[in-house]
This record gives sequence, C-alpha cells and structure tokens, in this order.
Amino acid sequence: MLEVASTPMVLVAILGTVGVLLPLLGIAYKGRDNTATNNLFATISFAALAVSMGYIGYQFVDGNIAASALFSDEVMSDDAFGAFFAIALLIVALFTVSGSFAYMKKHENASPAVYYSLILLATIGMVLVAYSTDLVMLFVAWELMSIPTYVLVGFMKKNPSSNEAALKYFLFGALSSAIIIYGISLSYGLTGSTNIGDVIEGYANLDPAMMPLALLSVGMLIAGFGFKMGLVPFHQWLPDTYEGAPAPITTLLAAATKKAGFAAAIRIVVMGAVALNTDWTLALGILAVMTMTVGNVAAIMQKNLSRMLAYSSIAHAGYILIGLAVAPHSHLGLQGSLYQIFNHAVMKGAAFIAVAGIVVALAVTHIDKLAGLGRRMPITSLGLVISLFALAGVPPLSGFWSKLMLFGGALDASGTLWWAPWLAIAGVLNSALSLAYYGWITRKMYFEGETQKRVAEPRPVIAVMIFSILFLVGFGVYPEPLLQFIEIATPIIPGM
Amino acid sequence: MAAESAILPMFDPIPAGAWLVWAIPFAAALIMPAIGRLSHRVTGFAAVGFALMSALSAFSLLPMALAGGEVHEQIMWIEAIGLKAGVLADPLSVIMANVVAWISFLIMIYSTGYMKGDRNVVRFWFWMLFFIGSMQLIVLSDNLLQVFFGWEGVGLASYALISFWYQDKKKDHVGQSNRRVLGLMDYYAPTHAGMKAFIMTKVGDVMMIAGMLLIFLFAGTFGFRELVGDTAWAVEMSAQGLLVPAFVLLFGGAIGKSAQFPLNEWLLEAMTGPTAVSALIHAATMVKAGVFLVARIGPIVFALGAAGILADQFFEIVAWVGAITALLLATQGMTNPEIKKVLAYSTGSQIGYMMMALGVAGLSHQYVDGYTAGFFHLISHAMFKASLFMAAGSLLHVVGSRFMTDMGGLRKHMKKTYMFMWAAGLGLMGAPFITTGFWSKDAIFAAVYESGTEWALPLYAIAVLTAVITAFYTTRMIGMVFFGPKSKHVQKMESEGHPPHEASVSMWVPYGILAALTIGIGLIGLSAEEGLHHLFEVYLDESFGIHYGVSYGTAGEDGSSILPEFLQGLNPVALGSSLAAFAVGIGLGYIFYIGRLVDPVRFVNSNLFFYAIHKVILNRWYLNAIIYWCFVVAPLWLARGVFRYFERTAIDYGMNDGLQKAAGWGARVVQGTQTGVSQSYLFVFGAGLLFVVLILLM
Repeated sequence: MLEVASTPMVLVAILGTVGVLLPLLGIAYKGRDNTATNNLFATISFAALAVSMGYIGYQFVDGNIAASALFSDEVMSDDAFGAFFAIALLIVALFTVSGSFAYMKKHENASPAVYYSLILLATIGMVLVAYSTDLVMLFVAWELMSIPTYVLVGFMKKNPSSNEAALKYFLFGALSSAIIIYGISLSYGLTGSTNIGDVIEGYANLDPAMMPLALLSVGMLIAGFGFKMGLVPFHQWLPDTYEGAPAPITTLLAAATKKAGFAAAIRIVVMGAVALNTDWTLALGILAVMTMTVGNVAAIMQKNLSRMLAYSSIAHAGYILIGLAVAPHSHLGLQGSLYQIFNHAVMKGAAFIAVAGIVVALAVTHIDKLAGLGRRMPITSLGLVISLFALAGVPPLSGFWSKLMLFGGALDASGTLWWAPWLAIAGVLNSALSLAYYGWITRKMYFEGETQKRVAEPRPVIAVMIFSILFLVGFGVYPEPLLQFIEIATPIIPGM
Repeated sequence: MAAESAILPMFDPIPAGAWLVWAIPFAAALIMPAIGRLSHRVTGFAAVGFALMSALSAFSLLPMALAGGEVHEQIMWIEAIGLKAGVLADPLSVIMANVVAWISFLIMIYSTGYMKGDRNVVRFWFWMLFFIGSMQLIVLSDNLLQVFFGWEGVGLASYALISFWYQDKKKDHVGQSNRRVLGLMDYYAPTHAGMKAFIMTKVGDVMMIAGMLLIFLFAGTFGFRELVGDTAWAVEMSAQGLLVPAFVLLFGGAIGKSAQFPLNEWLLEAMTGPTAVSALIHAATMVKAGVFLVARIGPIVFALGAAGILADQFFEIVAWVGAITALLLATQGMTNPEIKKVLAYSTGSQIGYMMMALGVAGLSHQYVDGYTAGFFHLISHAMFKASLFMAAGSLLHVVGSRFMTDMGGLRKHMKKTYMFMWAAGLGLMGAPFITTGFWSKDAIFAAVYESGTEWALPLYAIAVLTAVITAFYTTRMIGMVFFGPKSKHVQKMESEGHPPHEASVSMWVPYGILAALTIGIGLIGLSAEEGLHHLFEVYLDESFGIHYGVSYGTAGEDGSSILPEFLQGLNPVALGSSLAAFAVGIGLGYIFYIGRLVDPVRFVNSNLFFYAIHKVILNRWYLNAIIYWCFVVAPLWLARGVFRYFERTAIDYGMNDGLQKAAGWGARVVQGTQTGVSQSYLFVFGAGLLFVVLILLM
C-alpha cells in the first residue's frame, strides 16, 4: 500500500479537500457580491495549488522523492518523473486560476465556487495520471481529469459555441475513454495483470500467436491518449473546443491535460516499446510528422487567435512526439520531450492567458483586431510575443534549447533508425513555417494600426506575463538548472 | 636579502623586452586618439617616442641574441585546448625585430615632416603604430596561431593606410587615366587599391590558415619549438602525403603578404598610400613578413628532411616562385614612369631574391649558406629601400607629381636627396665592395651557384639577369629624376616662383642615415656577413640540429683561390657575375638616361621587337588585366546574371511567391477537412485508429 505521506496522496488530500469544500462555501456565500466571492474562491484555489507546489518542492529538497522509476508494485510511484509533471501541471493550473480572476468577473451569472472546484479536481486527475503505474489507476485518474474539463468547457451555459465545444469534447472524450479501456482490457486478458510493469513483462514473453492482439491493444492506447495529446488524425475536436471554451479553460486544456496524455504515453507506450523490442515507434514517427505538418499548415490561414494557437498546440504535440519516437535509440529523445513539455506548458499557458487578458480587456480574438495591441496592452503584448517566439524556437529563449535537444535526439538516433533524421528535417522545416504565423501576429501587434490609448491590463494576467518572460528568457540564457532537473526526471530506459 | 628578493618579483629585462616590443606600439595606438584630443601637434612626437621605446626594447634583446642566446616565454592562452601564447626571442627574431623597429623609428621621424598639416594625422599615427605592433607580433611569436593574429593585423593596417586618403582625390590615384590594358583602365583610386591589397593578400591568408590547421590537426600544437621537438606528426602527415601541401599552403600566406607571383599585383596599387606608408610596407613590415615566415618554417622543414622526412618540393616551389617574381617585376621596373611604382616593382623583385635564397638553401647541403644570404639581403634591402622610398617621397612632396617625366634635372636643387639617392641606389644595384647590397646579392649568387641542385643553373641565370635589369632601372630612375633637361612641369614651377627646394630636416635626416648605413656597413660587409653566418650556424645547430659540415665557400674546399687576400672566402664565379651585372646595367642606364646618348623612346620605337616587348612589360605582362577579367569582371557579370535570371525568377517568384501560395493552398485543404460536423470527425478518428493499428501490424 502506498504511504499516506507520499506526494500524490498529500496532493490528493490538499487539492481534494479544497475542491470538495469550495462548492459548500459557494452555497454559504450565495447571494453575496459576485466579484468578492470570485476573488475569495480564486484566492483559496490559488493558495491550495501553491501549497501543493510548495509541498513537492519541499519533498525534493528533503530528498524524499525517488529516482525516476519506470514501474512499481503499487498503483502509483512517488518518483521524480511524476513530480516533474506535477510541477509543470501545477504551474499551468496556477496560470489558469490567475487568468480566471479577471475572466470570471466578466461572467457574473456563472457560479465561481463550482468553477474553481472543477479546476482543482481536474488538476488532481492530471497529477495522478503522471504518478500512476497501474492501468486501472491510470484510467481512474484519466476520468477524474476529463470529466471536470467537460463541464468547464461548457461552463458558459448561455453561449452556444461554448456548448458546442463541450459537446464535441465530451463526445470524443467518451469515445477515447472507451478505446483506452478496451486496450486495457485486451492487455489484461493477455497478461492477467493491470500493473504496467507486469503487463510489459507479460508482453515480452508473449506467445507469438497472440502478438497481433497485443499490438491492437497498444494501438488502442495510442489512439486513446492521442486524443488528449491532439495527435493528427485524432485532433479534429481540438480547434473547435479550444475556440469555444472559456479562455482560461483553454489554457488548462492546451497546456495541462495535453501533458497528462504525454505522461501516460511515456509510462506505457514508450516503455512498452522498449520492453517488446519492436519497431512500434515508426507509428509514432509517422504521427509526429503528420501532426506537426497539419498543425502548422492549418494555423497559417487562421483569423482567430485562439484557433491559431490551438493549431499551434497540435503542431507542438508533433514536436514532442519526435522525442518519444526516437526514445529507444537516443537518450536525448525523452529528455528533449520532457524539456519541450515543460517549456510548452509555460509558453502555451502564457499565450492563452494573454488571449484571456485580451478577451477581458477588449473582447476580441480576431487577428485583424489586434492591430496596435503593442501600444494598447504593452505588457500582455510583450508576454505574448516572447511566448510566440519561444514556441517558434528562436534563440536565446527557452524553447530553442528544447527543440534543439529534440532535433539533436533525432539525429543522434539516426545511426540505428534510418527514418530518424527525417523527423529532424520535418521539425526544422515546420519550425520555419510556424514563424510565418507567429511573425504575422507580431507584425499586427507592433507594426500596424493607429496609435490608441492604453487600456487597463488585468493585473493577474500581467503577473503571469512577467513570470513567463522571466522564465523563458532566464532559462533561455541559462538553461543549466532546468536541464539538470530534466536529467533527474527522465526515466532511464532499460537496455540503453 | 633573500627574503627581500622573494617579496619583490624579480624583474628580468630581457623577457620583458620581448613582450614590450609589440605591446608598446599596440598600447600606444590605443591611446593615440586620446593624445589627439589634447593636441594634434603632440601626436607626432608621441608616436615617434613610442616607436623609440619599442626599438629600445628590441635593442635590449640584441646582446643576448648575438651571443647565441634565446628567450622563450609562454603563458596559458586557451586552457581548454592547451593553447599557449608566447614570445620566442632567438637570433633570427631578435635581429628581425631590430631591423623592423629601427627602420620604423626612422620612418616615423620622416612622417612627422611628411604628414605635416594633414587633418587626419591621428588616424595615421594610430594605424602606423598598429602596423608596427602587428609586425613585431609576427616576429616575436612562438607559434603559428599568434603569428596569424599579427598577420591579419598587418593586413588590416595596410588596408587602412593604403586607402588613407579615402576621398579618392585625383592626385592620390596611381596609374594613368588614359591607359587601358585589355580594355581595363590601369588607373586606381586609394580606396580601390586598399581593397585590392586586402583581398589579394587574403587569398594567401586563407591558404595559410588552412596549412596551419592541417599541421595542428596532426601535431596538436602551433608552437615552432614544439614542432621541432617531436616529429611524429610529420611522419604521419608525410605518410598521408599531406606534409608538402601543408607547408606549401603556409607559403601561400607568404606569397600573398610578400607580393610574390602570382599574388604580386596588389603591391603596385599600394602606392596610393602616403609615401611613409610605402616605405614602411616595403622596408620594414608587411612584405618582409612573408620572408620572415619562410625563414621561420624553413629550418623546421629542412630539419625534418635531415631526419628523413623529405619535403624538397616545398623548397623548390619557394625558390622558383622567388626567381619568377624577381625577374618578372624587375622587367616592369624598366618601363614604368611613376617613381614609386618603379620602387615597388623593385621591392617585389628583391623579395623574390630572398625567397630564392631561402628556397635554394633547403635544396643544398649547406642550409646555412642560402639562409644567411636571404636574411642578409633582407637586412640590407630594408635599409636602402626605406631610404629610397623616403627620398622618393621628398621628390613627390617637392615636385607635386608622381611621374618621373615631370621631374628631371633636379640634382642642383636637391643636393642632399640626390646624394642619398645615389648611395641607396648603389646599394640596390649592388655596387661592388662598398655597399651592403653588393655583399648580400653576392651571397645569394654564391648560394645558388654552389647549391648543387638540378635547378642551380637556370636559377642562377635568372638571378644574374635580374641583377643587370636592377642596375639598369635604378640608373634610369636616378637619371630621369636628377639628370637631363628640366621637365615642363619643373620649368612651370620655376616660372611661377616656386623652384624645387630641398626637403625639410626631419625628412632628409632619416633617409640620409639609412643611405650612410648602406655604404657604411657595406664597407665592412664581408665580415658582417660572416658574423651573421656564424651566428646562424650555431643557431640552426642548437635549435634545429642542422649541423654545419664542410667549410664555408669554395676557397676552403680546394685550398687555393684565384681571388686576392681580402676577398678570400668568396665564390669567384658569383663575384664575377655580380661585377659584370653591375657594370652592364649601370652602363646601359648611363647611355640612355644620364649621358643621354640614345633617346630611349626612339630606341624602343625603332624596332618592332623592342616595341612589342616594351608594350608587354608596360602592360604588366597582362597579368593584372587577366586577374581582373577572371576574378572581378567575370564574377560581377555572373552575379548580375544570377540576380536577373535566378534571384528574380527562381527565388522571388518561385520560392517567395510559390511557398506562400503552397502554404495557403495547404491551409485551405486542411481547413476543408475541418468541417465542424461531429460525424465526419468521428469517421476520421476511427480511420486514424485503423491506420495506427495497421502500421503496428505491419
């Protein structure tokens, strides 16, 4: 049995308690001034998330976190890999809550207590996905993450596009959950266990006649997780949902739940690929190229900033997938993926929070309406531009190093994997292509439009922007601490 | 007392001097703009003072070096790859450093007069000091990489000084605006000339750095001493056939800097710089850097050869490049009407002599003979050429024209300059027994003659022929400037009330000193040469293990010599040739230009053969025009073509517009699949799942 004091359990305790108590508080405060209650609940949520973050930090300093373990006998493993994802996910959750401060004030008819409660519950789900080492535990955590987000996407009840977004998201979420559980049941049938370590060991000693079934179950898991990661061709719900969802929730979806999908994929698919010693990774390679190309090409012509960023986040799933695809052949692969996951959480989180700030202040998301934004909302614009350039991988921002490591990993693997260099080439070409639309937004904001008066920028948004700028520039110029953290967090693949 | 000396760091003047020789000019260059802020007039004195300090630093090393001593100091430069910086003050570099330092010092004094009244004088002093510092860095470095830094510094300074008068006024051009060679103008502006020098020498520099890195790849060091210490690298390189190419690439750098064939053409246009700059380039810095580099690496190559790792082709190439340059440029000195260009051709030609000697040295059994001859010629040439250039600068200053046809009959007006030019000119011609030029040239003749290589005879013939031509063009120059009737230009000056006059004291004293030294050292030339020879014998033996075997000269070999007592030790054939060459050259020159017995113009036009030769030579053997056609005109033409037919079409329309259109098209296709209808999404999702499973099952 897992220790009560282990990190995931403590996180469940902190976030779960607050998450459950918030709606009760909401009932108690019913009828009071909406702005004040919103601020109160947001502050409580923020504090709960910050305490959780602090606890992980404390565990690290105290040396209580085990080295990245691939598998464990328990349902969860209190290791550095889980902690790494937990930190990245908590940062995004903090971004989301900060963005919601301002956003929820605008929508007074919504119930803030439920809103923040759902954010916290979804956060628990994501964190537990990263810690899970058992398929059933993983699935439970997956649903705990998914179900609150279905509600959050459709939180603006009177807004038809929010409703459409929620419906599509739910439809595909249900489908992918079904597929995942089907994959899990197949693997349980083949190996008689739901512990990931046992399953993979069972696969390694599988009767060859059963192999197609094993592969089918793996394919189902890839498709199921691929839905959350936004891999092409499981991506089509994503732009519609991101565009329709409340802007802070989009942040949570794009920057956080996507990462939970990767955490699950790394625990199961990549480790499994190594254990089975088969060439599954070609499927991931093909998906990677498709994903980044479709994402970037579609983003070019978008007129809506949210939608453009949605496609951009599809493309980024493709970059991250490069690392997974070459992981069995180069130790840089997984490290690059983790690095990119962490960076992307901050970059994309900041970009969507900037959108939320723009929506709050100006109520626009159309790109043509952004003309002259550099003067109207200078800090938000600067944060957005830095995030966009970091997404494009422009040195010396943090995003440059993670892309360098990913493409370097692909080249590094070329000795044993003939198609690996093509991943790097596709990645570089796609990065160049992506600059077309990142640059376009930048031009709109800074080089077009007449001089207009400066508008008030929401203060929580400013805080997120400043944090992101410091993070992206700071770790871009001096990436060493982050690199060390990633090195600790990256699981060592057996046989490498 | 012991405790005291432990606390006070020991100050040893000798190694400190070796660093200061080049550190002082660099530091002085940096503070020159600050001094210029205070006063423009002071800058000249300050610059001369710093040059003197550098020269004294060099001088402090001289006793140690003449006693055969050596200082080699190193400090860590780039720890990660074990790179060291250092100074190497051995006899070779110390003598060279003194030649450079003292001649630069005299040129700096001359410059205070020459540059008087120039508004940009601070810039001038900055680059002059930078030039000297870079040259001394080359001379005193203990490794190739550090040499290369100085090498590039010299190139940069030469660029800045050749195009010093960057406003490209008509009087600062060189060449004649109305002459065309193969359809190209033979007329160059200072900025063009600076660029030309920079780019042409850069061709050599690139070769040099390639050679350096090639050697570093095998040896793991740039150090001269380290390269000699362990020769395993050379065995490895030789086995792969890379040893000779590497050394020849290094020599490529020397070809560029020393204006040797085929990179010789920049030297003529370099005359657009102030004459003091020309003197510095031709006597002390820049062109001598190439010779010095060959003198630096030559013993290494020869020592490798002595150890059985042969690289004779290197020496053959050096000798032949030198010989071709010597003759090619000497011929052009006979025809050019501009006094500074005549001297420039002469420099290239004399450098060719030095290269020939250093090359032949490696092909003979007595390496030290050719080595001493080449280096001795470098010293004597530095003195008389600096003197000649400064005197020519005075003429330009006084007459206001660079053409000798605008001078004539000046000997009464400029007595001192006339006298000094004769003295230095005799040095260049190799006037027997009294000038340094005679002894050094004779030593080269002897070294070539006695080398015993298969090439000895043709090289020797070229050397003697070049000596005849040298004596002729020098006499021609002096004759055209100082003898004969006054030119229309001079008559006009007199009629306007400005007759030519002697140059100022600060100008004639420096070249007077050097002219006097040319004769003065010439009188004791033989013993000076033997002293140098002995010094190098010991130096080459101790530092490179090149032993001096048989006794020096033919006299010792057969025990009897037909020469009188005071000429014992000389090769009679070489002596005879140099006497004859001098006599023939000066005689012909006298007939045409001093005695004016035959009109040279009519003589050339009298005969189609002479006319053709004259034309080819005057057109610089068409070498310059061919280089321009191949490397300037053709690439420009090609670039325009590429711009019009490739950039405008393939890049602008094809790539820029095409990519944009393709991306837009792709985006519309992808958007087309994004229908917004959930049923179609579900279909794609299902198809995707099937696709993934199929890939896995494959």
